[in-house]
Amino acid sequence: MAETQLDPHTQELLEQYRSLLPVYSQMAEVIPEKLKGFFEEAGFIVAAVEHRVKTESSLAGKLKLKGSKYASIFDITDIIGLRVITFYGDDVDKVASVLERLFEIDWENSVDKRKAHETDSFGYLSLHYICRIPESAYTDPDHPELNKIRFEVQMRSVLQHAWANMNHDTGYKSGVEIPSIYVRSLSRLAGILELVDDEFSRIRRELADYRRNVQKLVASGNLGEVQLDGDSFRSYIAIGPFDRLNRRIASINQAEVQQVDLSAFLPLFKAIGFLTLGDIDSLIKNFSDAAYQIACFQLGLTDIDILSSSLAPQDLCTAYILKNGGGRIGLKMMLDTLNGPDEYNDAMAGFLVEQCKDLPFMNQ
Amino acid sequence: MEVIISKENKLVTAALVGRLDTPASQEIAPQIESLKADAAGTIVLDCSQLSYISSSGLRIFLSLRKAAAEKGGKVIVRNISNEIRSVFMMTGFLNLFEIQ
Repeated sequence: MAETQLDPHTQELLEQYRSLLPVYSQMAEVIPEKLKGFFEEAGFIVAAVEHRVKTESSLAGKLKLKGSKYASIFDITDIIGLRVITFYGDDVDKVASVLERLFEIDWENSVDKRKAHETDSFGYLSLHYICRIPESAYTDPDHPELNKIRFEVQMRSVLQHAWANMNHDTGYKSGVEIPSIYVRSLSRLAGILELVDDEFSRIRRELADYRRNVQKLVASGNLGEVQLDGDSFRSYIAIGPFDRLNRRIASINQAEVQQVDLSAFLPLFKAIGFLTLGDIDSLIKNFSDAAYQIACFQLGLTDIDILSSSLAPQDLCTAYILKNGGGRIGLKMMLDTLNGPDEYNDAMAGFLVEQCKDLPFMNQ
Repeated sequence: MEVIISKENKLVTAALVGRLDTPASQEIAPQIESLKADAAGTIVLDCSQLSYISSSGLRIFLSLRKAAAEKGGKVIVRNISNEIRSVFMMTGFLNLFEIQ
């Protein structure tokens, strides 16, 4: 746009813009990084934090239309634009609360577009805050304008973001008003995505409730009520159910026990038919002596003084399978499940059967 | 005790030859430490000529596994004899490594 076409007031505003451009650019780089740090501290993950500084031509276009509205460049609130995209719709309010703590919010110019719709219409959902860096948070004597510049932060979920982008691309890019049938289709999509957003949030909420409930049941010892799955098994392992047996086995040779991840035992427990954490608890109660006998037989005549924490559940399963008639085939299945199929697993299973056949637990 | 190291792209193979007892573990410690520099890739411990492993040897295997886990790599134990396999089983080490 040729500057000669612009009135003197607009030219003055553009001049102010040019002199402030380095500050705008720096703010647009620094603020998103600070925000990411705060989100991390607050313990939640956002999909993206985007930023842009309005280009001179875009600003000139805006000023040409409504330049008289602005007395100075500081009255324009969207020269710096940030966008925080969350995974879940209900995280938008969490992002907003972080912004409220960090910045001075210009409530008069901030807008919650999520509330802008009638109850029976669907469309653009986003929360827009106009912010300013408060002097109490940061000042720079060389750049007092830092605390005068307002910037816009748009907050929305990935689905809201996808809809807004597609709507913009399909509905406005051509510059021609689109037929009402397509407007209706886009509104219908907005409704579906709003529903999906709510569903994701509901699933997350209910999973969190489920996990809390499992942890409560594990802590209270009501293990028979807890279905065996990845979440419940993780909570159960966290209370160290095999530690006592591992310590007992380690005492055979005064060995050290290396703590390792025991998640490989979940498929094994399922394969041998366990349905609840109560089943594993019963295994520990009823088979610890047998597992200890196996360990004593194997380690007693050695000087091995390092063990893995997977030894207790491994020996418990060995004892359980043998005592329940699983024999060599059952032990091969155990080794296949724990270590992956291997041509030597059958021979190792046979070796284990031989080792255990005369141990007291097999004859009780 | 001898360690023969060969490298090919991101795959490092260390052939362990002899008895890996306590003195041998100390002897090969520098070579094992040098292997950790490649722990972001795959380290293969070829045990076809390893005749014995003590607790010190197991610790060496474990230290390599830790280094690999920290760097996103993995340790493969290859060609172990039945005797060493049974040591791995009775210590709970069998499911800590990919055994080929």
